[in-house]
Amino acid sequence: MSFTLKIKDQVEERAIDGDLTIKDLLDDLDLSSETMVSKKNGEIVIEEETIEDGDEIEFIQIIYGG
Amino acid sequence: MGSCTKCGNPNVIIKRKASGQALCKDCFIESIEKKVKQTIKKENFLEKGDKVLVALSGGKDSVVTLEILNSYVERHIIELCAVTIDEGIAGYREEGVEIAKAHAERLGIPHKVVSFKESFGIDLDEIMKTEGHRGSCTYCGVFRRWIINRAAREFGATKIATGHNLDDETQAILMNYLEGNMENLAKIGPKTESNSEMFTVKIKPLREIPEKEIGLYALAKGLDIHLAGCPYAQESFRMEISNILKDLSKDHPTIMYSTLRGFDKIRPALRQELAHDYEYDRCERCGEPSSNRLCRACTFLEELGK
Repeated sequence: MSFTLKIKDQVEERAIDGDLTIKDLLDDLDLSSETMVSKKNGEIVIEEETIEDGDEIEFIQIIYGG
Repeated sequence: MGSCTKCGNPNVIIKRKASGQALCKDCFIESIEKKVKQTIKKENFLEKGDKVLVALSGGKDSVVTLEILNSYVERHIIELCAVTIDEGIAGYREEGVEIAKAHAERLGIPHKVVSFKESFGIDLDEIMKTEGHRGSCTYCGVFRRWIINRAAREFGATKIATGHNLDDETQAILMNYLEGNMENLAKIGPKTESNSEMFTVKIKPLREIPEKEIGLYALAKGLDIHLAGCPYAQESFRMEISNILKDLSKDHPTIMYSTLRGFDKIRPALRQELAHDYEYDRCERCGEPSSNRLCRACTFLEELGK
């Protein structure tokens, strides 16, 4: 089981091992939910959303420092 | 996971920790537009017949400001115009300028792009190569204000709208308080007004909206926005304060709202005690309003040998 993760121009295939939510993935990647908007299969979702086999997840950074 | 608190739609795009609300896309968009319109009404930002200049960078805050103010144009209450500033930051600014142009064209709004190079004979990349420069943000802030004030007069604008959001306002309040800059603190507010007719009134329609919700609104509406960080952004006191506020907000989600609300309550007293209207004259070099012989922009330009 796997899903596609897109951040800016980087796209990668990642395996799903057990239950996985957007929040788990953000934590794994050390990304802050305060600065990111998450999309699942093109639709904006909240952090509790679960990731399933074949999903396309996109993280869009909307807050930059400075 | 719950459904929209307002309409029951199961596709929720935000859970607001501050209020406990969960909202679907349509109800979220409506809530932001309603809140901004409430701020505009409460602060008397707009009068019928106003011509409002939007400082349009192409980033989320200014694009959303333009988008929401445009609903007042559609209702024939105000006119809009926009200015985009090209600071001359290679590889960064070009995309924002193109996005800004496209939005102005889409909405049929008179728009001009003004560069540091044409205004001052030097751009930010060149300034950053000079020895002993004061840091990018110092020049950028001063030069941008100079261009925006001048553009407002050239357009015949009665108001200038900027994209300052709740995060910007609370950061400014805390920074000035913690540093003891009480005179600067007293100047913060929804409207910046001067007793000089040479300055145009500035308004901040998004000052009660958290930065993240502005980004979310732009994406939910499908608005094209410039998503990139300025290459000259550096560790700053503002960034430290921003991080503190973000950390605090995790367990105290209303902290930015209460900071702003409390500040707005003491602001009249602060202004009475601390704010004083400067006597403005004209800068000897450029003719812009200045309380000294030279305005800050011209002081910097002289230092840079321009």
